[in-house]
Amino acid sequence: MAERRSDWLSKSLSGSALGFTLAIALAGLFAVAGPGGLDARNKYQFVMWLVAPIWLGVASLVFFFRSGRAAFLWLGGANLLAFGCLYLCRRLLH
Amino acid sequence: MRGEILRLYKSVHTWTGLATGMLLFVCFYAGALTVFEEPLAHWASPPTYGFASIEDADRLIEATLATRPDVAKDFTLHLAMANEPARLSWRKSRSDDVVWSATLGADGELRVESSNVSGVGAFVDTIHRTAGLPVDRETGTTVMGVVSAVYAVALVSGLILVLPSLSKDFLALRLTANLKRMWLDAHNLVGVASFPFHLVIALTAVVFGLHEPIYDALDHIVYDGKLSTIMRSTGPFGGVKRDEQKAPMKRVSELVAAVAVVSPEFSPTRLHYRDADTRGALVRVAGEDPRFLSRGGGFAVLRGVTAEIVNVDYLPEKQSGWTAAVSPFFALHFGSYGGAPVRWAYFFLGLAGAFLFYSGNLLWIESRRRTARRHGEQVVQTTASRLMAAASIGVCLGCVCALSFAIGSTKWLYGHVEDVDAWRRGIYHVVFFGALAFALLSGAARAGIALAYVAAIGALSLPVTSALALAAPGLGPWAGADPESAGVDIVAFGAALCFAALARATARRAALGPTDSVWSTRETTRGARTPLSSNGCAAAVGAGEGDDIHG
Repeated sequence: MAERRSDWLSKSLSGSALGFTLAIALAGLFAVAGPGGLDARNKYQFVMWLVAPIWLGVASLVFFFRSGRAAFLWLGGANLLAFGCLYLCRRLLH
Repeated sequence: MRGEILRLYKSVHTWTGLATGMLLFVCFYAGALTVFEEPLAHWASPPTYGFASIEDADRLIEATLATRPDVAKDFTLHLAMANEPARLSWRKSRSDDVVWSATLGADGELRVESSNVSGVGAFVDTIHRTAGLPVDRETGTTVMGVVSAVYAVALVSGLILVLPSLSKDFLALRLTANLKRMWLDAHNLVGVASFPFHLVIALTAVVFGLHEPIYDALDHIVYDGKLSTIMRSTGPFGGVKRDEQKAPMKRVSELVAAVAVVSPEFSPTRLHYRDADTRGALVRVAGEDPRFLSRGGGFAVLRGVTAEIVNVDYLPEKQSGWTAAVSPFFALHFGSYGGAPVRWAYFFLGLAGAFLFYSGNLLWIESRRRTARRHGEQVVQTTASRLMAAASIGVCLGCVCALSFAIGSTKWLYGHVEDVDAWRRGIYHVVFFGALAFALLSGAARAGIALAYVAAIGALSLPVTSALALAAPGLGPWAGADPESAGVDIVAFGAALCFAALARATARRAALGPTDSVWSTRETTRGARTPLSSNGCAAAVGAGEGDDIHG
């Protein structure tokens, strides 16, 4: 490929791996803090359905980042934030 | 910056598309057929004599359980349809693939047999889920879950590519001498017009294929390992304890009536019994209600002894809360709403999807040829583009041929072989891999013509089988005289005409089209080893404007 700085590999890896963990964390946040809480009847199915759009949304749009490094840092930061919130919510709500 | 990102998205679209396109072609073509799974299965099922009304269903259950008491644990009653009598089906264990079925003959006598003939629907469905890969169903579905994730990325990147020039290019189908431009316009037109459909299909296919790992991850991180307990306690059978004590069951008509009280327009098709003839017996009354977005039908759970309703979470009219929030995803994948118009729409959207992947591969091949010419080099098709062209032809037409022959063979196999399903699967794989090998060995141009004719013959074999059965009843196959079977024959005949037209068009291009194309047969006839190329025909089709393929 002719691109000089496409970083396609690092961007793809960041998008698919960090996108997945971010999706799990955000879906988890919705499960814990969203309407009905953890135990709402059959809510776990909806929570599971949330994962795919978030994950694949990130994996598709990750190539807009300026560089692979930027993608890794932003998505890593978003992951830390999301998992931090998830941890806090679980401590506070349960 | 913007140009650089678009270029990167172009490579992303190209490579994700190439990696998944051929498998997705198989899934979409087979998927389009699964929309009419029932007529197909009906076409391929031997005529059943004997008739059972809803009253006879009770007798059928009674007679079956009298001879096979172990079946009571878990069996399904298929209610009588317009042209099919009531039938009981069960498997000896969950992992056992052999389905047994029991029917009542006209004389009221019980007939028990291992039934694999009605498996045409299940067969096409398996090809749809696994792309026909020669692996077991679970593995194939998981693989296709991953492929679908890549497909989602290909889809979004494709949209990003066309967005900047959407208003200019959308609906612009330039039928000019520039063939590649025409293919690109067609690819973009179909892609943009059916984008919502594809997005839904991609996301749902990811979930169908990968829900187990996703649930596992959520279980570890969010639910502290309690997810399986939650699932069981809120599941349709949750909250009802097994009770082995013998007790008489309510009649089938009473169970069906109890559901009709809750949801009058719901039409039950099957009753799934658990622990029949015990006090803990549960019956899942499943059926359809096309007025609602549901999971390809729905069901209510009743107590077998009292006909008291235990669960309506999955009954289309009564679903609520989070279950109702999830159901549309299923409905939008299966096209199980709105009746016949939606089913035909899904059929054609599925075929259009198959076209999208085929045209995508074709564009990659054509743009390779262009690149070579623009730099003023001798136009030599690379090994990669020749292989890609041959593989695309082999996989796409191979799958089309293989499905036709596998479905058509069912009528000929029945009564001659023990395990129809294994034979049918074998025929699919022999035709598919045979076609692929033939395409790789003889090149895209020659294989494109030959396999299109084979596809026409394959599709024609369905109505021909029916016609032969009418003309010579002694041969073995039977002819269905009902409109459903006739419909299958008519559609197959139409498909045969389309494939024949395709074969003629391909042959014309191979003979008259530009010789520097992978689709030309002319050059290779002279030197067997030379690549499909020529440097004498640079002014031919495809050498038009110098703009970028996605410009």
